[in-house]
Amino acid sequence: MRHVLHIGHTDLRLFLKRKSAYLWLFVVPFAFIYLMGTAMQGPGDPDNHRASVMIDNQDTNFLSRVFLDELGAQGMWVLSPTNKEAAARSIRIPSNFTSKVLRGKQSKVSFLKHEDSAEADAAIIEVRLVRSLIAMNGHILEAATHTDSLETINEDTLRKIMASPDPVALKAKFAGRKPVPSGFNFSLPGNLVMYLMMNLLIFGGATIASERRNGVIKRLMVHPVTKFELVQGKIYGLMLLGVVQILFFLAVGKILFHVNLGANLPAVTLTLIIFAWVAGSLGVLVGCVTASEDRVAGICVLASLIMAALGGCWWPLEIGPPVLKTIALWVPTGWVLQALHQLISFGSGFSAVILPIAVLLAFGAAANLLAARFFRH
Amino acid sequence: MSLLKTDHLSKTFGAIHAVDSVSFQIEAGEIYGLLGPNGAGKTTTISMICGLLKPDAGEVIVAGGPFWSDPQKAKSIMGIVPQELAIYEELTGRENLEFWGRVAGLKSGEAKTRTTELLEALSLTDRAKDAVKNYSGGMKRRINLGCALLHRPKLLLLDEPTVGIDPQARLNILEFIRGLRASGTAILYTTHYLEEAEKLCDRIGIIDHGRLLAEGTLSQLQERLGGDRVFVLEADFGNASVEAWDGFLQRFRVIQKAEGQLVVAAIGVRDPAECLRELLNLPIRVENVTLKRPSLNDVFLQLTGRSLRE
Repeated sequence: MRHVLHIGHTDLRLFLKRKSAYLWLFVVPFAFIYLMGTAMQGPGDPDNHRASVMIDNQDTNFLSRVFLDELGAQGMWVLSPTNKEAAARSIRIPSNFTSKVLRGKQSKVSFLKHEDSAEADAAIIEVRLVRSLIAMNGHILEAATHTDSLETINEDTLRKIMASPDPVALKAKFAGRKPVPSGFNFSLPGNLVMYLMMNLLIFGGATIASERRNGVIKRLMVHPVTKFELVQGKIYGLMLLGVVQILFFLAVGKILFHVNLGANLPAVTLTLIIFAWVAGSLGVLVGCVTASEDRVAGICVLASLIMAALGGCWWPLEIGPPVLKTIALWVPTGWVLQALHQLISFGSGFSAVILPIAVLLAFGAAANLLAARFFRH
Repeated sequence: MSLLKTDHLSKTFGAIHAVDSVSFQIEAGEIYGLLGPNGAGKTTTISMICGLLKPDAGEVIVAGGPFWSDPQKAKSIMGIVPQELAIYEELTGRENLEFWGRVAGLKSGEAKTRTTELLEALSLTDRAKDAVKNYSGGMKRRINLGCALLHRPKLLLLDEPTVGIDPQARLNILEFIRGLRASGTAILYTTHYLEEAEKLCDRIGIIDHGRLLAEGTLSQLQERLGGDRVFVLEADFGNASVEAWDGFLQRFRVIQKAEGQLVVAAIGVRDPAECLRELLNLPIRVENVTLKRPSLNDVFLQLTGRSLRE
């Protein structure tokens, strides 16, 4: 075990000494996640997507503040005028909003269009604005039943009513099909899986082939290290490299792209680490069966792109014909994405990903055994 | 007790007998040189000794025990310096030494201490923090050697450790190896450089086409030529044949006959002046006769009919 850890740690150090590693580990995947996430941003999962709206609040009284909170509760990112460019629509609350409403008079809230904004987001905002206004009217009506006059309603009363559970609630879901992962919820796991596979295949394959060419593998084998320890050490090093990439992109996804990893973060991390083990084992296997480093890059890029396409890294399998879903069962990328979408987009718990994880473990074990079988100096 | 003994070691690749019944042994504090041209079977022999290849026949005995009865134990007392620069060029000299020390079984602290000692011994302390890829050829060779010494092996296998470096760097490495011998390490040294074998090795085995043709100390090998001197005759031989010269082959052993040159050694103890007179009186037009001490190349010539330098 000591040899496995030592070889793995040294390999990680070697990988991170290559400047090109940073480009492929971080820069290129980040660019692809951003571009694909932005391009594929749509209504997506209604439980998760939050459209951005700019608020021009001219009212200084409490009812406008309560209204803003209601907009947030209905699933909108409420932005101040300084972030005007990021918003799809604007809402202007007039200065006499609170006073007019409390006098029982109608107040006009303006809904303003932004040029070049996404139509899908605008539609979501419109729907949620209507829902917010209905909810506000409901809360005010309920508050009015407890007082003699509208004018005696205060912020505390209104917030207490908002905080209490609704007597009637409607939970809407897509009927007959699952929602389709979109935006960063799709591009983060898709690209992370593709680049994990590509990097670990290339680094693994090229390292084994080059160390075989320059005699390092031979030299390792004349030491009191077993072949098993050597293979596992190489796989462990690649796994560690994968973990570096996984942790970086989970943090980026959470902080920059607001991907809702929520309570499933440990399960997401575990799934990705198991996938890194599978990809690392495949990388060592490629190095064992490929004659030179020159061939490794070509084979690995091709293999990882094919597996990415078939596994659903480039487009959600949900929108394709059923045959694509069947094909995805034959590649590890298909299983890992199935598990990640369950955890990230569909809000499932760990129990929903036990089968994909078991299949990934089987893929990894097979690759591991084959790598040990074909390992040579 | 010998630290290494090979007993009729053989290895065949298809129709090629890479190593054919090779036997020798090495004692503690001895440098045994395995001398032969490229492709003679030196590296295959070393590969079998360190377990990279399994012999088709014969046995390797390390410190009294058969290698294959406990390979890990046998490997733990060996250090191997491969012909290639089998080191991590991106790591520093210190990182390389520590890595190979840990792989050889040292704990972290031991590996660090030993690394410092070896960097000093190999005169690399000043460059310890530089990546090996920025080293000169000689420095890389020294690190390559040092990587095999972290765990103080009792048996050291050196496979052409001075290939491709300048004479000064070579001298430094040979001096370092002499120091290892003095500390009691048994060393197997393969080379195709005659001078290295002559100057460094206590005993030399001459190998060609997988067969160990002769072994012994330098003087024992020279004795095979019949004495401590050979004669190089330069002449116009025309159609002359040594077999036709009356009694010549009873008095001289022909080491090599090439166009315009004949290398011979006297048989038995004879006066060199008398030998010279006899050679000058041969029925050919002699241009020059040189008397010299026989070299390993002459021994190799006599054994194989060709020069090691060819």
